[in-house]
Amino acid sequence: MGNIKIGLLQFFTLTVLFELGTALVVNLGMESDKDAWISILLGNLMGLIVFAGYAYLYKKFPNLPLTAYIRQLFGKYVGSVISIAYIVLFLNLAGRDLRDGGSMLVMATMHRTPLFIISMLMILSSAYVLHKGVEVLTRTSLVFAVLVILIGLFCSSMLMFSGSINLNRLLPVFENGINPVLSSVLHQNYMFPFGEMICFTMLMPYLNNVKKGPWVIAAGMFVSGILLSLTMVLNISVLGTDIVKRSPLPLMPTISKISISDFIQRVDILIVMVLIIGVFFKLSVFFAAALIGISELFKIPYRRMVYPVALIILFSSILNARSFTEHIEEGGKLLYTVFPFFMVLIPLLLIIITAIRSHSSPPRSG
Amino acid sequence: MQSKRLFFIGSLLPCLMIILSLTGCWDSVELNRRAIVSGVAIDRGPTDEEKYVLSFQVIIADEISGENARGASPVVVYKGSGRTMFEALANASRQTARFLSLGHIRVIIISEKFAREGIKDMMDVFERESETRLSSYIFISKGQPAIESLTTMTAFGKIPANDLVEKLQTTSKQYGYNYRMEVDDIVRGIQLPGGGPIVNGVMVIGGDQQGSNDSLKDIKPKAILRVTDLAAFKEDKLKGWLQGDEAVGTSLIKNEITQIPEVVSIGENEYVSFIVYLSQVHIHAEAKDPEHPIITIYISEQAGLEESPNALDLTDPKVVNNLSELLEQNIKDKLHAAVSAARSLKSDYLGFGEAVERENPRGWKQVKDHWDSIFATCEIKFDVDIVVRHTDMRNNSFQFNNIR
Repeated sequence: MGNIKIGLLQFFTLTVLFELGTALVVNLGMESDKDAWISILLGNLMGLIVFAGYAYLYKKFPNLPLTAYIRQLFGKYVGSVISIAYIVLFLNLAGRDLRDGGSMLVMATMHRTPLFIISMLMILSSAYVLHKGVEVLTRTSLVFAVLVILIGLFCSSMLMFSGSINLNRLLPVFENGINPVLSSVLHQNYMFPFGEMICFTMLMPYLNNVKKGPWVIAAGMFVSGILLSLTMVLNISVLGTDIVKRSPLPLMPTISKISISDFIQRVDILIVMVLIIGVFFKLSVFFAAALIGISELFKIPYRRMVYPVALIILFSSILNARSFTEHIEEGGKLLYTVFPFFMVLIPLLLIIITAIRSHSSPPRSG
Repeated sequence: MQSKRLFFIGSLLPCLMIILSLTGCWDSVELNRRAIVSGVAIDRGPTDEEKYVLSFQVIIADEISGENARGASPVVVYKGSGRTMFEALANASRQTARFLSLGHIRVIIISEKFAREGIKDMMDVFERESETRLSSYIFISKGQPAIESLTTMTAFGKIPANDLVEKLQTTSKQYGYNYRMEVDDIVRGIQLPGGGPIVNGVMVIGGDQQGSNDSLKDIKPKAILRVTDLAAFKEDKLKGWLQGDEAVGTSLIKNEITQIPEVVSIGENEYVSFIVYLSQVHIHAEAKDPEHPIITIYISEQAGLEESPNALDLTDPKVVNNLSELLEQNIKDKLHAAVSAARSLKSDYLGFGEAVERENPRGWKQVKDHWDSIFATCEIKFDVDIVVRHTDMRNNSFQFNNIR
């Protein structure tokens, strides 16, 4: 385990890409209409608070992934059951993201290509990178983060120059009071994408700096929250609330409005690129988290499980829903029924137990 | 044993790689199998069975450039009809030798007859279809079947749809009240509470043979495609046409004017012409009492004096100031005309309701349902501020000397 160490910058970019992932292209937080950007910011704040809890656990067990200290704290049997539940959660999340990405690609560009083929290619590339190791994944993220940021800068400046932005469409703020915003935050925004940071508890033992590590990841979350919020502001101010709410991928039509003297136009294919990059990293991080969990729990070498796990993810992603509508509906429900249990409740229990333990027993050396 | 296994894997792997990369060809359509659609016209068919009659203006790439040009028409129009838009599109494919590629549609022209019946059903496919872009321009064919506008040869450029787009862009920059209206503008417009979208009109002036290259052989083309008045909608139904002052005022309130010529009368048959530009508009609603909102339209503009064939002393700042006051009055008249036109069409396409909503969202909810009656009677104020920045390359006209 502990022999691989990954730098802070790589972790920062991995966090940013993980958070942007699919969230950048979907209509995030549109339950609160015009105020979606506010609910994203609030969700970001709540996500940071939740992450502070994960960071606390990491500080207490800097060399152990989540599944390991669960067993230390809950005991061998209960702990193992919960660990397996977490592994299943990570596999499910990876499958969901794979399905998200595959369906979106099919909807947006490749209409006649079977979903299975697209999903297979995506999971294969992800499995290949993970076969090379987690540190390769993080270094890849550094390269792609630069690309995504360049695309983002290009697209937003072009949108500004093409004059399609009308900030009046964001007004009035809090049209229906603050309640829709809060309900959107509670239903979706603190969980997706910020609560999903739970899988970083599996990767954090690889951090090469215990002190600064959590801060860097938190900074990554904060930056990506701001970016997501800005993207939503762009979407709404270009297309208007109604169109954004009705599009599964609002960023594509937003970007397709770019037209600079009939010369720079039709750049929406860049968004497809961002989508593929985002899905790849999101999928790979969940995939890696599940792999680390399995190898740690069952003492199986990490590389031997890469391809079996890839198969599980692939088939669960295909079998989990018949249509995209069903898939999205199910995802929306999971966000406020199942996920809070894993992402808030169990970590909270862990924190309480850790705090009581470290308070009652004398501090151990190291 | 070991080497045999290696050989097996070594030969399987390239095969697998090739198969994997071939999956990228699933959706491929080669360029020589594509026909690029540059414009679509939508007409109302006679029966509900063929409600939508779609005409596609397809570019013949060989005729645009290339050695294979036969001197034939550079574009061809194909027609298809059906109960839905998509059926009509599929229907048209029976006549085309290639796949119709919808990604480059520049203009969508809807016939006036259809527009009076309602356009909301046809907008969905343009939004939903992933190949079409939101940036196609929408037009209403004034008093003619929409197909007429697609079957007219144009002098500039070989593709009539592109020519129409350029005409719109030119007029919106130079003279007119027409401005870019794209698919999403119309979709938002239809949902404007109590209002509707504004759409450019287009029409063909002139007679027969418009669809032949011969039409262009004379110096005076037999038929000319031109951008005309603004079509005003209530929800998704065409209610009336705006022209002249009404149209200018409407575009001003919508803040879509780049520059317009403005003629001020200073006496009997004596006029001074200005070019008005850098228009900035702000619509403010005072809506503490949403039943009786006061809407103020603030406009600040700059003007340049372009023509003054009279004895005015333009070196005197007072004279110029007086002129700018006259100019302000002129603009106010246009805004008045626009507002009263909107009131007579009973459609708040100017977006005053939105202004009230921005100012007082709670109050707006109470008045939303009977906004029509409030819009018809509410107080509307104009606050126009125009500065005449310069008098161009001369100050006084030479007629100034003749007087003395």
